[in-house]
Amino acid sequence: MCGMAEPTPETAPEPEASAPPPAPKPRRRAPAKKAAAAPPAPAFVDRGDAWAVVGAGPHGMSALKALLQNGIDADGFERESDVGGNWNFGAENSRVYESTHLISSKPFTQFPDFPMPDAYPDYPSHRQVKEYFGRYVDHFGLRSRIHFSTDVVNAVPVDDGRAWDVTVRDRITAAETTYRYAGLVVGNGHNWSPKQPVYPGQDGFRGEIIHSADYKGAEVLRGKRVLVVGAGNTGCDVAVESAQNAVHTWHSTRRGYYYNPKYMTGRPSDQVADSLLALKIPLPVRRALFKGSLRFAVGDLTKFGLKKPDHKFFETHPIVNQQLVYYVGHGEITPVDDIDHFESDAVVLSDGTRAEVDLVVFCTGYLVNFPFLDHEWLNWQDDHPQLFLQIFTPRFANLAVSGLIQPDSGQWTLAHWQGMLIARVAEALRQRPSVARGFLSRASAEADRRFSAGTEYKNSTRHYYEVAHQEYLGVLQDAIHELEVSA
Amino acid sequence: MSAVTPRSATGNPLRRKTRAMRPWDWSFPSAPLVHREVISVQPPEPTDRPPLLMVHGVAHGAWCYEENWVPAAAEKGWPAYAVSLRGHGGSAGARHLRRTLTRDYVHDVMQTITELPSPPVLIGHSMGAIVAQLVAERYPLRGLVLLTPAPMHSAVGDLVAIAKDRPADLGRAVIGQTLSMEPDILFEGLDATTARAYSDRTGLESPLVQWELLLRRRVGPVRCPVLVIGTPGDRLVRPADVQRTADSYGVEPVWFPGMGHDVMLDAGWDRVLDTVLEFAADLPAWGTAPAR
Repeated sequence: MCGMAEPTPETAPEPEASAPPPAPKPRRRAPAKKAAAAPPAPAFVDRGDAWAVVGAGPHGMSALKALLQNGIDADGFERESDVGGNWNFGAENSRVYESTHLISSKPFTQFPDFPMPDAYPDYPSHRQVKEYFGRYVDHFGLRSRIHFSTDVVNAVPVDDGRAWDVTVRDRITAAETTYRYAGLVVGNGHNWSPKQPVYPGQDGFRGEIIHSADYKGAEVLRGKRVLVVGAGNTGCDVAVESAQNAVHTWHSTRRGYYYNPKYMTGRPSDQVADSLLALKIPLPVRRALFKGSLRFAVGDLTKFGLKKPDHKFFETHPIVNQQLVYYVGHGEITPVDDIDHFESDAVVLSDGTRAEVDLVVFCTGYLVNFPFLDHEWLNWQDDHPQLFLQIFTPRFANLAVSGLIQPDSGQWTLAHWQGMLIARVAEALRQRPSVARGFLSRASAEADRRFSAGTEYKNSTRHYYEVAHQEYLGVLQDAIHELEVSA
Repeated sequence: MSAVTPRSATGNPLRRKTRAMRPWDWSFPSAPLVHREVISVQPPEPTDRPPLLMVHGVAHGAWCYEENWVPAAAEKGWPAYAVSLRGHGGSAGARHLRRTLTRDYVHDVMQTITELPSPPVLIGHSMGAIVAQLVAERYPLRGLVLLTPAPMHSAVGDLVAIAKDRPADLGRAVIGQTLSMEPDILFEGLDATTARAYSDRTGLESPLVQWELLLRRRVGPVRCPVLVIGTPGDRLVRPADVQRTADSYGVEPVWFPGMGHDVMLDAGWDRVLDTVLEFAADLPAWGTAPAR
């Protein structure tokens, strides 16, 4: 029920998944630390007490607003010419496709202090989302604070971590400037750098292989035999669109899932789920209720040839898709196993079936990527950063990451509160440094805390960032309060 | 009346922690409103002043501001807006008025705010002042103005006062009929014809919202400057309650003797408006305010 219909970092077969991408096409936001010819020394601007916010997607926007709202001067940096980030359809790093709609309903997907218009449907489209973001930045006067069409080349701590030097490059003039800031908020998103699996024989495959990152609409599917890999929300969306447009569709998944409906009892199903939470119904009962209602409405999925879920309800990021099972029932989609290897004209699956396909769409998700930051500074462990409250690093008090979360609800309510907490910390660092440092000293001790509200998330890369919204928001709320009462 | 220095909300005894968790708002959101009446007049010259958004009280509508305040404020250079809550004035929702709650009004005001060009100064009258305070804990207002505010700490005291003053009215309210909006209750300085005409324009109120006035509500931290305005002779909200509301924000109320409950309509409305505009003119720019 995450607010972004995008995240799909699941379902790639585990072993190969971590293999490096095969010669990626022109790298988005290549870590162009050193340009070819020695460029002239960048101009330098000291912004004093101001903070920098990298990215003007929902998380960057709301962090920028929260800082300004609390009297902290701040500048934003955005590589595109408009706000929206992932939702800026058509932009190079946007990963939404023509048909993307929210999969969580409005009430807790929107910014809590800037509700979506009554005229929007329960599940707005990506166009409406982008329009909404535009109104948000205009309303709060953020546009003039954002440097658009500007790449962040790198960011380095200076003066013993008391300040950050952020070097940026204007994408039009290529002029570089280094700004010095008192703090840095990173909101560059985690759904743009494709996670590309590699299978034996893939190079000899004569058909076409694309990643869902490059999937923009159903035209590429028309008239083809398609294999969709991955059962994240994107994978299921693409499989359904393929069922509607392609000659035939195979859908390869690693495990079985619960396919949640968008509506239950005439209400968006996430609202139904949240009423049970509001009533403090215990997890086993909620599980039984949801499982039971799916069982009653759809029944045993293995009868459709789908795999039996190997986990309990709420243990993986929820998939909201009512149509997948429908098209399986129409015979348009054949659910299949993992990929074993590629042949020149077919894909062989681990159960031995041979699918002769023209196009393979990898909906295998995204990897976290901070091309302008040394991973060390983010307390990198194995292949992901370990952050206190999913925001703060034990290394620097004035470095915060917004948006490295994947909630089981809408996203932007959490974006708002992450921004508010960051602003509180920034404010405390300025006015009451001992309080801020006291708060952040817990960062190293509690950096590995997860917010799963009692469930055990399946261990795959997408679930590093999974949070149960009710627990996580409660913790953010307490942290904000802690910093406020100490004022 | 006297000039007032805006003071920030401090020492609010009812203040509790910032509330990020709103499970009931998430799971049972207010029904969308098909038509919301927003009356607005723009100043003759473009301005960078914040918009003023005015919210009416029980059984009123945007018309009560349209009459004097909206045009007068615009003429003095302020973008002025007034909204009719659902079931009131020209807004839709009359059919569902009997099951309307205060939270639905909060929803309507939040929706209106998102349509404004920038964060407003929110002005709430009477019951609308409760709505305004609930908005203020959710949204970063430039300033908050409470006109003869119904108390957040329960209107039981006012109910007792009404019971002594006019027992029949109490009985009607208890069984869910709208509180009496007779001219002598709302006005002190208007001539009888005008007062009657205004009184006749009032409509119905949701019984649930009226009963909710008896609840003791807590409001989260309000960070913007607050102005509280009362009248000593108010026959709906006791001055003691206005004082207590002001105390909860650490400010002194500004009193307007000789006026009735409807300070935006009663004779002397221009002086009240001047006080409000003076307050609004002194507000720190959005984004530069100290934290509280």
